[in-house]
Amino acid sequence: MRVPLGWLHEYLDFDLGVEELVDLFSLRSQEIDGVYRLGVREGEVVVGEVVDFGPHPNADRLFVAKVDLGGREVQIVAGAPNPYPGARVPVVLPGSVMDDGSKLKKAKLRGLESYGMMMSERELGVSADHGGILLLDESYEVGRPIADYFPVGETVIDVDITPNRPDLWGMIGVARELAAILKTDYRIPETSLETGGEPTTAYGLRVEAEDLCPRYDLRRVSNLAPGRRAPLWMRRRIHAAGMRPINAVVDATNYVMLETGQPIHAFDSAKVRDGIVVRRARPNESIKLLDGSTRTLDEEVLVIADEERGLVIAGVMGAEEAEVGEETEDALIEVATFEGRNILGTSQRLGLRTDASGRFERGLDPNMVDFALGRVVGLLTQQPGGLAADDVLSHYPEPVGPWRVPLRLERAELLLGMPVSADEAAGRLQALGCEVRREDGRLEATVPTFRRDLRREADLIEEVGRLVGLDKVPEALPAVSQPGGLTEEQRRARLLRRLLASLGLAEAITYPFGPDRWIESLDPDGDGGPEATVRVKNPLSAEGRNLRTSLLPGLLDAAARNRAFGAEGGGLFELGHVFAADAPPEDLLDAALRFRLAGELDGEEETRLLGVREETRIGVVLAGTVRPAGWNVPAVRAGFFEAKGLVERLVPGATFVRHARPFLHPGRSAAVRAGGKEVGWVGELHPEVVERFELGGWPVAAFELDPLSCQPDPEPRFVPFVNVPAVDRDLAVLVEEQVPVGDMLSSIERLRSPLLVEARVFDVYAGSQVPEGEKSVAFGFTFQGERTLTDEEVGEEVGRIAVRLEEEFGARVRG
Amino acid sequence: MAVSARIEELKSEALAAVAASDSTAALEDLRVRYLGRSAELTEIKKSIGSLPAEERKEVGRSANLASREIEETIEEQRAGIALAEREERLRAEAVDVTLPGVAFPKGNLHPSQRIIDDVVDFFVGLGYRVAEGPEVETDYYNFTALGIPPGHPARTMQDTFFVDEGLVLRTQTSPMQIRTMLSQEPPVYVVCPGRTYRRDSDPTHTPMFHQIEGLAVDRGLTLGHLKGTLAAMARHVFGEDVKIRLRPSYFQFTEPSVELDVSCFICGGDDPGCKVCKGAGWLEMLGAGMVDPGVLEEVGYDPEEYTGYAFGMGPDRMAMVKYGIPDLRLFFEGDLRFLRQF
Repeated sequence: MRVPLGWLHEYLDFDLGVEELVDLFSLRSQEIDGVYRLGVREGEVVVGEVVDFGPHPNADRLFVAKVDLGGREVQIVAGAPNPYPGARVPVVLPGSVMDDGSKLKKAKLRGLESYGMMMSERELGVSADHGGILLLDESYEVGRPIADYFPVGETVIDVDITPNRPDLWGMIGVARELAAILKTDYRIPETSLETGGEPTTAYGLRVEAEDLCPRYDLRRVSNLAPGRRAPLWMRRRIHAAGMRPINAVVDATNYVMLETGQPIHAFDSAKVRDGIVVRRARPNESIKLLDGSTRTLDEEVLVIADEERGLVIAGVMGAEEAEVGEETEDALIEVATFEGRNILGTSQRLGLRTDASGRFERGLDPNMVDFALGRVVGLLTQQPGGLAADDVLSHYPEPVGPWRVPLRLERAELLLGMPVSADEAAGRLQALGCEVRREDGRLEATVPTFRRDLRREADLIEEVGRLVGLDKVPEALPAVSQPGGLTEEQRRARLLRRLLASLGLAEAITYPFGPDRWIESLDPDGDGGPEATVRVKNPLSAEGRNLRTSLLPGLLDAAARNRAFGAEGGGLFELGHVFAADAPPEDLLDAALRFRLAGELDGEEETRLLGVREETRIGVVLAGTVRPAGWNVPAVRAGFFEAKGLVERLVPGATFVRHARPFLHPGRSAAVRAGGKEVGWVGELHPEVVERFELGGWPVAAFELDPLSCQPDPEPRFVPFVNVPAVDRDLAVLVEEQVPVGDMLSSIERLRSPLLVEARVFDVYAGSQVPEGEKSVAFGFTFQGERTLTDEEVGEEVGRIAVRLEEEFGARVRG
Repeated sequence: MAVSARIEELKSEALAAVAASDSTAALEDLRVRYLGRSAELTEIKKSIGSLPAEERKEVGRSANLASREIEETIEEQRAGIALAEREERLRAEAVDVTLPGVAFPKGNLHPSQRIIDDVVDFFVGLGYRVAEGPEVETDYYNFTALGIPPGHPARTMQDTFFVDEGLVLRTQTSPMQIRTMLSQEPPVYVVCPGRTYRRDSDPTHTPMFHQIEGLAVDRGLTLGHLKGTLAAMARHVFGEDVKIRLRPSYFQFTEPSVELDVSCFICGGDDPGCKVCKGAGWLEMLGAGMVDPGVLEEVGYDPEEYTGYAFGMGPDRMAMVKYGIPDLRLFFEGDLRFLRQF
């Protein structure tokens, strides 16, 4: 809501600088979004009379005028051609400061002195019109300051109004609020009107949809002079408040809306057939709106119609049919209250938000109708000829009255953390328009109907608290009587992220929704059964309609992006949720809806009703050169064993089983098992998938794990050790190429040699010196006993191992 | 030649050779030559027994003296040479200390997560617990239970992604407050960090963003407790010198509702051209308020017995302010040029 301060001053007296006002209003009421200046900030603007006007001798597009400022004549160079000898114009004098803060100086334009400037409406802050110099009528006296007629400058504050305060969508409400803050009085404009016009009852009024229209009032104004514009002061205020002046009748309705917050509609009586009908739209009824669009309506839409056709989408926008225009001489003025949520729904469905709908949707006070109708009709009758009808057609079957809300002072102190006296509380509430009764420590407020947000004690306490000042609330800390902390899972997730970062990876957070490509690209053969994907019904675009079933595609997209921007590669990780459709069984569908909409479980498990299985995963993608070469160390490139090494670090004791997933390289991928179950996968990506994610030519390895299976910092347990020298011994064997080395290691482990402390693989080799179809595997062992081991004892253990490897894998010891 | 004279001769010869030697290896050779098993001096010592009795003592003494002197001189010389050799080696081993060291990996934590971790740690220190929850949330928990029934205008402020009938991508982390209260009795002290979603995309809005909400319900909690808690948190995250102020606001599930501003810790409010606070001196940081009695009733708490406060903040925006990041969209692109800075 744009609040011109000059307008506000009409309703209350206050002496605050703009910055003070902004601070005060922000700290006691609503946030101020901005401050705007219009017209002339400081200086002098006077009425001048053009004595002489003609083209500038040295410039094609400039003109030069001699202007009488009341006793002295000055020369002014102008850019607009419309002044003429005898015209009265506003002239701003040199030394004045304009809206942008610049200072107007005496100037020489193309060789001619120019003393000040003749002003357009825009330059004066009257309207957006910059088409020519504002021409004033005869009532403006030459030489007099314009400020005697209307303000030449305006400061406008833009108030960001919270949805609970529709009363602040009008200047009067803002004035009331500021008065309450300043503990002062405010005034509301008096209405006076000329009656004796044509009767309203010449038209009928029928409200069919009473549920959507609590109040509807109609009054006729006749004998309007056609072709008149609204008075300049009114157009000026409408402009300053951010609206566009249109014609005399529309401007009056908009002006009163800005004043009261109550939208008003005017019909050209001549175009209304028989009477006004307030009804729901008929199915597929269409209406051509003022913005030129044609809309097809349904029965949820409230329309204002005559007996033949729809004239207005109630509370939103009028049709061309019965609008008032320049030529209107007789108007029906509607001031009504509509059901807020219905207006909101209509405005959302049609994608139409207007100044009116924005106000109606919050729910307006039906008792505001009387004042607003009187005020707008009064303004119209102040135009030449305007006469108000003596009668008003009104539909207001269930008048709303004020209500009572009790307030306990001790409760106020409890919520606010500071004591509030009965006088203070009562005074503040009265300033807001409440009547307050006091009875031993207890107040009872009778709340005016324009404050529909004040229903409960807490609402009143908030009002008192903010008006007293939240800066007065003392700071305290509660005495918390529970131990805080992270759960084991949370602690582990934290460690996991820190560990991966310490290992050189970068933590990414990617969107969990993606394009169909995410699903298709991860299934190169097109025959895998992708998990049922959860869809977003209203994505921002098709690019974001699938909820991820894996962290992989988002991380791959990120890797591709990095590559496109010139990266050589890198490692990314993300800890986040994945989603899978998990529709409830048929017989639980109703129960599922009750749970989702009303929170009722009816003894069922939430997971059975939710319909989506959501799990946390940790995902890693290594792509391209994960770590660049240094001058003395080689680069690390992405590969199966780099990824596997990370998995081994995260999941101590994990085992790896070759396992084909469609998006992984069939020969370089594995299922990760721990604690007797599968906890994730690791592998290089299928070359086809690498291509599809625009990473072609890069090695890409990845893994995804259940973070609960990860033990970034396993609980340590002390194992005794002896101070006896350990003995290292190597053993190289030949086995067939396809024998898994991991199986050989497990087999050695299963021997449970009491002397073997550690077994390592230090070389795997196939090629010359090794028979075709076989490979050489070299193990390194460390042995240690209670005492120093002899060569014979160590030799015996190595022999046992060699025998075991021969028995199980046909391994032959290399000479 | 008398044996003694020979001993003297050998000694002089050995001492001269030792003095002339320039490596530990050469010294070792000299030791073998003059003092070794088959050295002449050793032979002389072995043959003492065959000397006439009157010479034995004298020869023995001078042989021993000679051996000792040679030995000592060798040791002396060795020490000198070893020192020189070590110095030479150290000279030869010198490296260009300006060359880069071997790179140990430096990874990165996402800036939003850094803020979340920091804020969570602060509240854990005060005795709060941490509750996380599903991102696909029911209409009931996301809206209705929070005092936003179907058709309520507040639903329009939060453009919602719908997943299925009655299922949405949560627009706020507040559902976790409800879930927490439904699962336990007061006192409740909990913070709920997580991802949230709104159907919004422009330079200052991304369809996904983070929230951290907090909730305390106990006997006797006041707006003062809220204010003190948030002030302490702001100082923890942004530095000891920051000031806070509360402004009135409106949220559906708190009454009274407030917003918290933090004094601009970049310019301290002194720079009208400050890019961070735009000269205002204050940064909008979070929304908060006393839990609406209706919400307490909804979860079965007695609002006459218990009061509470709740607050919600945007760690992404806090990270933007704290680290000077100009564009929210950078947060979720996985761009290493961005991530590598944190």
